[in-house]
Amino acid sequence: MRVRFAPCLVIAAAAMLPLLLDPRGYWIRVLTITLLFAAMAQAWNIVGGLANQISLGHAAFFGIGAYTSTVLLVKFGISPWLGMLAGGALGGLAALVIAIPTMRLQGHYFALATLAFGEVMRVIANVWTSLTGGPGGLSVPFAPPSFAAYSFKLLRPHAYIALVALIVATSIFKAIRRGAMGYRLRAIRQNTAAAEVIGIDTTRVKLEAAVISGALTAMLGTLYAQVAVFFDPDTVFGIASISIRIALIAIIGGIGTAAGPVIGAFFIIPLEEIMNSLLSSRAAGLSQLVFGVVLIAVILWQPRGFVTLFSAWRARLSHGRAP
Amino acid sequence: MTILEVRAVSRRFGGLQALSEVTFSVRRGEIVGVIGPNGAGKTTLFSVLVGLVRPDFGSVSLDGRNLSGLKPHRVAALGMTKTFQNVALFAESSVLDNVLTAGLLHHGVDEARLEALKCLERVGLESVAHKLAGELSFPERARVELARALCTAPKVLLLDEVMAALNHVEMQEIMRLIRSLREDGVTLLVVEHHMRAIMNVCDRILVLNFGRLLADGTPLQVAADVAVIEAYLGRSAGEARR
Repeated sequence: MRVRFAPCLVIAAAAMLPLLLDPRGYWIRVLTITLLFAAMAQAWNIVGGLANQISLGHAAFFGIGAYTSTVLLVKFGISPWLGMLAGGALGGLAALVIAIPTMRLQGHYFALATLAFGEVMRVIANVWTSLTGGPGGLSVPFAPPSFAAYSFKLLRPHAYIALVALIVATSIFKAIRRGAMGYRLRAIRQNTAAAEVIGIDTTRVKLEAAVISGALTAMLGTLYAQVAVFFDPDTVFGIASISIRIALIAIIGGIGTAAGPVIGAFFIIPLEEIMNSLLSSRAAGLSQLVFGVVLIAVILWQPRGFVTLFSAWRARLSHGRAP
Repeated sequence: MTILEVRAVSRRFGGLQALSEVTFSVRRGEIVGVIGPNGAGKTTLFSVLVGLVRPDFGSVSLDGRNLSGLKPHRVAALGMTKTFQNVALFAESSVLDNVLTAGLLHHGVDEARLEALKCLERVGLESVAHKLAGELSFPERARVELARALCTAPKVLLLDEVMAALNHVEMQEIMRLIRSLREDGVTLLVVEHHMRAIMNVCDRILVLNFGRLLADGTPLQVAADVAVIEAYLGRSAGEARR
C-alpha cells in the first residue's frame, strides 16, 4: 500500500499551528473557526458531494446543535460533551424529517426546499423565547476550566478539539466514499432507476446519508457554541453566514473530494477575515464586494474547485520524476 | 417448476393501453423470447415485472411469491432484475464500479469487486474494467449492462435488446453466454428484434402486439402463426398464408 504523505504532513502542520499563534490572539480564533467550518463542509460533502444533493439548509442542523447543548447546560447544568451527543441525535432526527419530503427533489428544487427549512428553524428560534432566549441570544455560562466541563482559559484546546473534529469528519467522509454506501450514493446520483433495479434501496440510502450529515453538523454546532460563548438565532441559523458558507467552502475546494472542504475552508475563512480587517473601515460593504469578486474569479478559473489544481500539480510532479 | 407467473397484467399510460391482460408463465431454466413490433409493450412488460411500473390490474409472482407493490430493489433481492434497452449505466463511474455496485446486493465491497471481475470476464470486458463506462462504444456498454445485471446473481434475468447494434460475431458470443447462463440455472426472458438470433436461442416465444399477448409457443409454432405474420407484415401477407 502506498504511504500517503500529504495528509500526514497537513495534519502535522495543523497540529503545530496553534502553538505558533498567540494563545490570546485573534488568529487562533480564526484558525479554530476555519477548522470547524472545514469539518462542517466535510459533513455537508456526504450529501452534497456523493449524492450531489446541494443543501442550502445545513444551518438548521448547526443551530440545533448549538442550541441543544447550550440550553441543556444553562437549564440543567449538563456537560456540553453530553449536550453534543443530544444535539447530534436531534440534528440527525431533523435531517430525517427534512429528508423524507425533499428526497425526491433534485437540483434547484432540493436546494430551495432545504434553504426554506433553515429559515424555518431561524424563525422558530427567534419566536420560542422561553427556550432559546429569542433574538437576544444565549450565553454559555462560565464554568471553572476543565476538560469535562468543556471550559478552557485559552483558545488553544478549542483549536485542538476542532482539529480532532475535522480529522474525524474527514475519516467518516472517506470511509463512506470508499465503502458500500459511497458506491450506492454515486449510483443513485447517476441513475436512480438503474440503481433500484440492481437492488439498491435508494430511499433508505439517501435517508442514511442525510442523517449522518445532519448529526455530524449538529455536533459541530456544539463545538462552535463553546468557542463563540455567545450566539443568537441569526448567527447560527444564518443563510449566508452558515448554510451558504458551508456549501461554498466545499464547492470552492472541490465537491465530493476529501481534500476539497479543507482547502476551501483555509481559503475562504481567512480571506474573509483579511478582507474585513483591511477594508471594512474604508466603505460599508467594500470587504464583502471584494470577497465576492475574488470568489467569482476563483469559480471562473477553477470551476471544479481548487482540488483539481492540486491534482494537476501532483500529476506534473510524478510525470517529471518518471523516467 | 414454474418460476415466473404473470396473470392478467394490464397497464394504461394516458390514452395508450400499453399492456392488456397479459398472462403467461415461465418454467425454471427456460429461455423465453419476447417479440413484437415497436410499441407492442415489451419494455413496459419488463418494467412491470421488476417493479419499476405498477400494473393497473393483474399480478406477478416470482418463485411462488407475489410481487405486488414491491419496489425494484426488493424484486432484485428476490432474484429478478433487468437490463435497460437504452442503456442506463453510471457513466461517470468505471466499468468495474458499475458492476461492483450490483454485487453489493449480496456481498461486501471486496467480495463484490471479485464477483464483478468474474462477471466482466464472462461478458469479455475484463480489459476495459478501469475505463469510464461513458467512454465505451454502444455495444460494449450493452455488455456492461449485462455484466451488472449478472452481478446481482439473478434467478430470472430480463434482457432488453442487449444484442442491438452488435455484429455477427458479438451476437454469437452473447447467444453462447445466454445458453451458458441457462446451464447455471438462470431463467431468461429476452426482448430482441433480431429474429434469427431469437429463433435460434429461445425455447419459447411470446408475441406481443398493441399490449396483447398474440401468441405463445415454440419458435416453429410462432413462426407459422398467421397472426404473427399479420402483426409484422400486415393483414394481406397473413391472408396470403391462410
